[in-house]
Amino acid sequence: MAAGDGAEEVRLSVPATPEYLRLARITGSGLASRLGFTYDEVEDLRLALDELCFALVGADGRMGTLEVRYTVTDKTIEVEGTLLGSGSAVAPSLSDLGDQILAALVDDHAVRPAGERPSIWLRKVRAG
Amino acid sequence: MSFDVSRREELKAKFSEFSETRDQAVRRELIEAHLGLAEYLARRFANRGEPLDDLIQVASVALLKAVDRYDPDRGVEFSTYATHTIAGELKRHFRDKGWAVRAPRRMQELYLRLGQAISALSQERGRSPTISELAQETRVSEEEVLEALEAGQAYRFASLDAPGTGPEEAEALASRLGEEDPEFTGAEHRATLSPLIAKLPHRQQLILHLRFFEGLTQSDIAARLGISQMHVSRLLARSLAQLREAAETDGLT
Repeated sequence: MAAGDGAEEVRLSVPATPEYLRLARITGSGLASRLGFTYDEVEDLRLALDELCFALVGADGRMGTLEVRYTVTDKTIEVEGTLLGSGSAVAPSLSDLGDQILAALVDDHAVRPAGERPSIWLRKVRAG
Repeated sequence: MSFDVSRREELKAKFSEFSETRDQAVRRELIEAHLGLAEYLARRFANRGEPLDDLIQVASVALLKAVDRYDPDRGVEFSTYATHTIAGELKRHFRDKGWAVRAPRRMQELYLRLGQAISALSQERGRSPTISELAQETRVSEEEVLEALEAGQAYRFASLDAPGTGPEEAEALASRLGEEDPEFTGAEHRATLSPLIAKLPHRQQLILHLRFFEGLTQSDIAARLGISQMHVSRLLARSLAQLREAAETDGLT
């Protein structure tokens, strides 16, 4: 999943509450725009980020910090969201519908429920 | 929102019946009997910057939950229980739109201009424009484009009835969605729809279906339905937000 040579990483750490998810969207769309994503692609990415964050934070928020790591290369953006310092680790989960939605919005995605860093990850590649 | 004594007794009996049998016809009847309550509560939250239609929908979904979860044996009147549930959902609806800041007028205008630019450039180039092309076309920075899009998506002024949805667009949408799409109503496809989706307005169901089950792009959908791409984006974002809310409260996540 490492994006390889020439990859640049941006990290965003915010309280894990719905009020801050806007920042995750803005950061993502800003980076995608730098990569020359089209309006359609940026909108899809934004919807995907909403799904990703919701799966981690829920509608009511969680204790702790949401860390979102953006890795960009030439025409690809990868985003990994993790919930940090929430005491008992809450494993992220995606509903079947959430899974279907992400599959339509991005090129690849994965839920990593176990391990040291339970996270949700996605990748979107510019078409042109 | 009160019923006379005999009607109240009748409904009480229906609730007892429903709690034992989970009969769907009884459930429907109970829901219908209380839709007025849902609408009444939704109206109490009107004029706070959210379209009434949305509020009624939030309240109606909350009513379904209240009917399903109500336990008549606890000795609480249904109307009390439902009012609590519905008002809670409405409050949450407002709270979830956390950044309840009205976008500055300049952003609203830019948002509308962007809508036109997206349509014009898409037509001209036969593909969705990049953010940088949109910035050039509207003569603002990329950051401002993104800010305006985000502000628009954040629902603040993105009501479906707001400026930007011209009458011809609304009419086009209404007339196209009025026709039953044969593909869409096929039983096979209905089976793919989550029960949560089935609670959304028909036009939103159709757009979700086209994007997530048929794999059309947002631009394709806009062209197919004769509405703007921006409108499709807004409807998708709104639908997904509603699905998440419903899923969270249903515990189906």
